[in-house]
Amino acid sequence: MNELAKQALDNAVGKILGAGSVYWSSDSNKNAFGWVKLCEPQSLARLAPLLASAGARLMTVTAYRNDKFARIEGREIAYHFDLDGVVLTVTTCVDNEPPMVPSITPWFKNADWNEREFTELYGIQVEGHPNPKRLFIDATLDGDILDRMVPLSTMMNGASTSTLWEKVFAGKQMPEWTKGAKN
Amino acid sequence: MSETYTLPIGPLHVALEEPMYFDIKVEGETVQGVELAAGHVHRGMEALAMHRNYFQNITLTERVCSLCSNSHPATFCMAVENLAGIEVPMRAQYLRVIADEVKRIASHLFNVGIMAHLTGFDSLFMHAMEVRELMQDAKEGVYGNRMNLGQCTIGGTRTDIDADIARFLRGQLEALKPQLAELYGVFERDPLIRTRTRGIGLLSEQEAKLHAVVGPVARASGVAYDLRRKAPYAAYDELRFEVQSDTAGDVHSRALLRLREAVESISIVEQCLDQMPEGPVKSEGFVAVPAGESVARTEAPRGELIYYLRSDGSDTPQRLKWRVPTYMNWEALQVMMAGCQVADIPLIVNSIDPCISCTER
Repeated sequence: MNELAKQALDNAVGKILGAGSVYWSSDSNKNAFGWVKLCEPQSLARLAPLLASAGARLMTVTAYRNDKFARIEGREIAYHFDLDGVVLTVTTCVDNEPPMVPSITPWFKNADWNEREFTELYGIQVEGHPNPKRLFIDATLDGDILDRMVPLSTMMNGASTSTLWEKVFAGKQMPEWTKGAKN
Repeated sequence: MSETYTLPIGPLHVALEEPMYFDIKVEGETVQGVELAAGHVHRGMEALAMHRNYFQNITLTERVCSLCSNSHPATFCMAVENLAGIEVPMRAQYLRVIADEVKRIASHLFNVGIMAHLTGFDSLFMHAMEVRELMQDAKEGVYGNRMNLGQCTIGGTRTDIDADIARFLRGQLEALKPQLAELYGVFERDPLIRTRTRGIGLLSEQEAKLHAVVGPVARASGVAYDLRRKAPYAAYDELRFEVQSDTAGDVHSRALLRLREAVESISIVEQCLDQMPEGPVKSEGFVAVPAGESVARTEAPRGELIYYLRSDGSDTPQRLKWRVPTYMNWEALQVMMAGCQVADIPLIVNSIDPCISCTER
């Protein structure tokens, strides 16, 4: 168990919630897991910079309903951080209507995809997200994606087939002679 | 009866493109920006997991992705064990490591093989795949399957390795050693490979940390983070191995790092076969999973894999969430590909060992 990392995480959370607010558990290999609950989503924006300056890394974000079958209203979001092998899970309540949490992308760049994903899956709005675009495709997808973009398999073609070039250069001002060429 | 018939193919077609799309901005032949569009095969597996009981979810999570198909059920089982306080017998902990490492070798060889193909060095590609067959045969010989091993279960492992099978496995590893050494030499020194991959797809340590990349991508950029050492699980704290790292952070260093990890994996499996204590391979009976939450992490071939389990006390999870290594690495492509040549794109994409089925779930 990494005591220094535990201490650093404890201190960061303590500045917001007071000392001793992290509940620690461990698995059979003595790896430490810290658990914190924030009842006010806005405190996330105050906690995130402290965790970032302690050197923590955001691993992933899990959003879920308070009750699996939606018998009880409300959602929660668990943010999972890592510092040198120690895991800290910060859970925040999202009781407000419309459900909204502040974005933590200013401090954790990789929160971008996670926040966009839970917006799509759980309808939770993210305040101040720098790139609030759809992440996974849904019914509102614009129809010409297959025409506009380069699919992975074409991109992975080691020989850089003419298809890749054509897709990449599509829409660019190209000399006339490049357009009629047969490959 | 008519001689002709109609074979219905679809709604999906076998020749359909791989479902990850890229918008590449170029200036001349230089890449200026990359954007990703995902989700074409989003399977909603996390939602599905909420409707399966804990044992059914072992089978489900094994099917998230084929190359990490041991890491997923193993990590899921660990999350359940952490929550329910199930003690896994020591022999099973070693058996889990063996399955993990055999899969790692096969996964890494697949990736470097594809890299050879992308440089146009197809004989090397075929050779790497042939060397990989040693591990595929090992999987088939030990577990009965060449991809999904079905080895993990809650509280232990499904099968044991007896003396005969251990001898066979050791034989496969012995045969692999010289082949792997030779492959490493070719990847390290071949002028074609070096020209096409060195200094390409650079990711600095600072950018690696900023994007929180994981696995070989992070380790090749100087972030020597390996869960097997940082937060040991199964029997890893009783095994000797070197965490591989590099500071070059290019396509070449990522490939070499994977080959070095494969060499370490051979040693890990051998140590397991030597040290494995006798005893049961799974815990007796089954403890009900109480209400609560738990986190489990393992080092999958592509990097850190994390499972978060939330239980309301019923026999199905209230929420099961997993984050796969590739999920973290896609966005760093924007850094690696900035300023690269169009012809280098495939090599750089391959160097993160992308897994779409993992990303989409």
